[in-house]
Amino acid sequence: MDNIEVKVVLASSFIDSQFIFKDLSMHLKNRDILFVTGKNGCGKTTFIKSLCGIHRIESGSILFNKISIYKQNCDLKNNIVYIGHKNSLHNDLTVSENLKYLSEFDSSIYKKNLSQEICKLLDFFNLQKYKNYMVSKISEGNKKKVSLSRLFLTKKKIWLLDEPLSFLDDDTKNLLEELILRNRDFGGITIASTHTNFLHKIKDAIFLDMNT
Amino acid sequence: MIKIFIKKEVNIYFRNLNYIFLPMIFFFLIISVFPLVLGPDKALLSKIIPGIIWITVILTTLLSSNNFFKDDYDNGIIETYLTCDISIELLLFIRILMCWLFTCFPIIFFIPLVSILFSMSFESTLTVFLTLIIGTPILISLGLFGSALTLGVAKNNILTPIIIVPFYIPVLIFSASAIESANSGLPYEMQIYILAALLALILPIMPYLLKYTLHISINS
Amino acid sequence: MNISKIANLRFFFINSRLLGFYLSFITLILFLFGIAWGLFIAPKDYLQGESYRIMYVHVPAAWLSLQVYIFMTIAAIISLIWKVKIMEIASIECAPIGAFFTLIALITGMIWGKPTWGTYWVWDARLTSELILLFIYIGILILYSSFEDKRQGSKVASILAIVGLINIPIIHYSVEWWNTLHQGPTVMKFDRPSVHSSMLIPLIYMFFVFNLYFITVLIKRIRLGICHREKNSKWFEDYIND
Repeated sequence: MDNIEVKVVLASSFIDSQFIFKDLSMHLKNRDILFVTGKNGCGKTTFIKSLCGIHRIESGSILFNKISIYKQNCDLKNNIVYIGHKNSLHNDLTVSENLKYLSEFDSSIYKKNLSQEICKLLDFFNLQKYKNYMVSKISEGNKKKVSLSRLFLTKKKIWLLDEPLSFLDDDTKNLLEELILRNRDFGGITIASTHTNFLHKIKDAIFLDMNT
Repeated sequence: MIKIFIKKEVNIYFRNLNYIFLPMIFFFLIISVFPLVLGPDKALLSKIIPGIIWITVILTTLLSSNNFFKDDYDNGIIETYLTCDISIELLLFIRILMCWLFTCFPIIFFIPLVSILFSMSFESTLTVFLTLIIGTPILISLGLFGSALTLGVAKNNILTPIIIVPFYIPVLIFSASAIESANSGLPYEMQIYILAALLALILPIMPYLLKYTLHISINS
Repeated sequence: MNISKIANLRFFFINSRLLGFYLSFITLILFLFGIAWGLFIAPKDYLQGESYRIMYVHVPAAWLSLQVYIFMTIAAIISLIWKVKIMEIASIECAPIGAFFTLIALITGMIWGKPTWGTYWVWDARLTSELILLFIYIGILILYSSFEDKRQGSKVASILAIVGLINIPIIHYSVEWWNTLHQGPTVMKFDRPSVHSSMLIPLIYMFFVFNLYFITVLIKRIRLGICHREKNSKWFEDYIND
């Protein structure tokens, strides 16, 4: 099991000199699960975006395996999957086409028997009957399911999920929990933002309250 | 990987035939308005046809590249681009080429028809053809650059053209003058070479520039 | 005193107040003197008569319009690479000043053109590329102003400015080439006799004064930009309340 660690030291970010978050510090190692909680507009999304390098923090540092994520030699990108609260799906492609296309962006996915893997994944998420539907034709919940289903395929270790639970029914929440626990068994780190619903099976999660 | 990227672009364009046909129809519509405004004088029209064609092409490429990245931005696909571990420059390069292939190439394909409408000589039709083939990829890539710049702006319908049109000027000057030279029987190789040099300068840089611009644009 | 201290917004804001005041005073005096020199003391041109005297405003303004652009781009590159906040503000605040100089150069060029060419506007290579430069400045300003988040806006405008710098020589040479191709018979060409030093020295002096004006206005505009951006920050409130 590779050792991975994510360390945030006194990170601050602000827009128009209003702090979004200030002097935030945390340290995550293998098998950690972090839930970022807080009210709307308290900076959960921005925090998760700064962890994957889309948003640049103003001061402080974010280290992946002791190397700042803004450095060239940091191999953060080889290790993260980011699923934002936008679905990242093309409306004009079918569900399976979208999944095939999205898995091109993840070099950890073994491409040899991708079609079978996608079949398995669709079974797992109960999406088999939507396989050839255009994404524009399926419901929001199913879109969310499709976009989360990338987690089934990937072998990357750090999962950054922004509001993964919105639009999901209880069954799918259980499936997601299963996936997150599986990632932990493989030694991965999961960071997810939620506002109210916690996942119940995961007992030893760390909580980061953004309100304070 | 390249195959899947190309296949996805082809799928999207073929499922939205509007993306292909609207620019083409727009091009023919605008170009047939000119004789109505200027009068059907053949000598005048054949003198100013290079300008007419190129102005219309500019309008058309602006139309098709204006909000190029907007949908992908709204869907969150740009975020996926920027957090993945594959070479996104290659993908952007393919997207530039595909955008050109499906929005500009149909117009270039129908240039012989335009030459009949405006009774252009074979030589000048050939020049129009050449300048369009070399010049439009430059216009498209600059247009995509403008579209990436204005990504963070909510209402940007007219913004991209205003920013980008000044950058079109060299392409315009050399293309129009090549056609004019051909019209009056002068050599026009030099202009074509300069256009090709501009293309060779812009096309390799553009994917990197686009990636950087998207990175900055999305950080809001 | 190290770079990071000068680059500090608070340090700059507090120390530039008096500097801006003195500089604007000095600039005004030197400018009035320079105008008097150009308009009354410098000798009359044997070819163009008195009308050439507008050159003392036109030529420095045209030089400055390019120089400000180069300065803006350098500031933009520094701000994008090293994330120096003050350079971010300096870069975008250069744009309106540069646009202003470009406009001055265009207007004085037109005024000079009337007695010399007999018309206000000819599609001469220099006027045309100056006009395009104005459009590029306007594009940068519009792009900046359409962003609600001004920091974001200035970053994006910086990219446009840098790409514009690569493009400006290309545009300039293509326009010049285009102009030689379409040289109409109405445009008079002056041979360029070497400018006599009694005319050249006031010209260089005016160039110096224009530069001083640019620096003064830039400092004042950077102060204004800091006011806009830092209005919510703690040090700014503390400073205002003192």
